Amino acid sequence: MDVLFKIFQDAFFAAVAAIGFASISNPPRGALKYCALIAATGHATRFCLLNYAGVHIVAASLAGALLIGILAVWLAPKIKCPPEAFSYPALLPMIPGMYAYHALQAFILSLSAHGEDEFQHLFYLSESNAVICIFIILAMVIGQMLPILVFKRRSFTSTR
Amino acid sequence: MLVYGDNINSSTLDCTDDMARAGISGAGRSDSLLDSCADGMEKGTGCASATRRADTAHLRAVCHFLASYAGAMLGCGATCIRIFKNITRMVETLHMEWDMIVLPNHVLITLSDGEGKVTVQESHSIMKLPVSYQLNARLSNLSWKVAEGKVDFVMARKLFTHLISHHDKGLRKPWSVMLLVVAANASFCRLFGGDVAAMFLVALATFVGYSYKIIFLKHKWNVRPIMLMCAFISTVIGAGGYIFSLSSTPEVALGTSVLYLIPGIPYINSVSDMIAAHYLCGFSRFMQGLVLTCCIALGMMAGILLMNLSIF
Repeated sequence: MDVLFKIFQDAFFAAVAAIGFASISNPPRGALKYCALIAATGHATRFCLLNYAGVHIVAASLAGALLIGILAVWLAPKIKCPPEAFSYPALLPMIPGMYAYHALQAFILSLSAHGEDEFQHLFYLSESNAVICIFIILAMVIGQMLPILVFKRRSFTSTR
Repeated sequence: MLVYGDNINSSTLDCTDDMARAGISGAGRSDSLLDSCADGMEKGTGCASATRRADTAHLRAVCHFLASYAGAMLGCGATCIRIFKNITRMVETLHMEWDMIVLPNHVLITLSDGEGKVTVQESHSIMKLPVSYQLNARLSNLSWKVAEGKVDFVMARKLFTHLISHHDKGLRKPWSVMLLVVAANASFCRLFGGDVAAMFLVALATFVGYSYKIIFLKHKWNVRPIMLMCAFISTVIGAGGYIFSLSSTPEVALGTSVLYLIPGIPYINSVSDMIAAHYLCGFSRFMQGLVLTCCIALGMMAGILLMNLSIF
C-alpha cells in the first residue's frame, strides 16, 4: 500500500509540474491534460525502475523518456498538434536539477579550496554531478526523440 | 493554386497586392517588377523578358514568404526537422526547389523554379516570439493546407500574417501562468525530496521571482538581466530555509527555487537539432540556453553570497 501511495504521489507531483511548465510554452488548448497524463506515466515509470528495480538513474530516465515519446506520438494526432508539445513539458519534471545544483555548488566552492586535496575532492564532486546530469539530459532527449524519428509519418502528419 | 504559364501574371499581381496590404516588407520591390512586366505585356513588347521578370517576382514573393515562415517557426520554438518538413511540403506543391541555412539570428532561404533557370535568395531575422506550441501547431497546419490545395499561396500569406499578428491571442494571462508555475516548482521541490516547508518556501520564491519576471518583461528588459535578477530574488527567498531553520531540507528548497527559470526548451531543441544533423542551429540554441543558465547561476551565487550562507 505504501509503495502504491509513493508511486501515485510521484505521478501526481510530476503531473502538476508538467502542467506548470507546459503553460510557459503555450501549448494548444486541450493539450495540458495530455501533458499531465504523459508526465505522470513517464515519471512514475522512472520512479519505479529507480527505487524498486535497482536500475541506474540514466537508464531509468531513458526508459521514462521513451515511454513519454511513444505516448506523445500516439496522442498528437488526436488534438492535431506536434508531439513535442506534449513530450517536452512532460520531460521537464525529469530534469536533474539537484545534480546541476550540486555540480555548480562544488565548482564554485573549489575556487576557495585550501590545498590540493580539498580542491581535488570538490572538483571530483563537481565533475561527477555534472557527468550524471549531462547523461540524464541526453538519455531524456534521445528517449523522447526516438519515437518521433521512428514513427516519422505519424509524428509529422499529426498537425494535418 | 499558382501554376506556371499564362495566368501567372494576374496571380502574382494579386499576391503582391496582398503583401502590400498586409504590410509585408519586400512587397514594394515585387510590385515594381510586376508593374513593369504588366506594362510590357500591355504594349506587346519584350513579352519573354516580362514573363521571366514576373517569374522572378513570383519566386521572390514565395521565397520571402518561406523565409518569414521559417523565421516565425524558429522563433516560436520549432525544431529544424519540423521546419524542413513543413517547408518541403509547401514547396513541392509549388513545383519548386529550395534549401535553407539557419544562422543564430537569421534564416536564409534559396528557392529556384523546377527547371533551375531562376534562383532567388531571401534572408529573414528569426522572429522574437515567445515559445508557443499553439503557434507551432497552427503554422504546421497551414503548411498542410497549402500542400493539400485547400489554401492557395495568396491566402496562405494572408493566414500567415494573421497568425503572426494574433499570435498572443488565446494565450493564458501571465498571472494565471504564474500560478501554474508556482504549483509546478513546488511540486518539483517535492519530487527532489523536499518537505512541506521547503515546498512553501519554493512556492513563495517562485511567486515573487516570476512576478518580477512579468514586470521586467513588460518594461521590455533584455532577457539576460531579467534571468539574473529573478534568480537573485528567488535565491534570497529560497535561502530562508537555512537562515530561519524553517525546513529540514533547506538545500532542496534553495536548489529548486530557481528551476522555473531554466531554459529547458532551447536545451531539448538543441539536442533534437543535433540528432537531426542541424549542428549549427543546435549549437546556437545550446549556447542560447547556456548563456541564460550562466545568468541564473550568477544571480544565484550573488544571492547566496548576500545571505552569507555557510555552504560557500
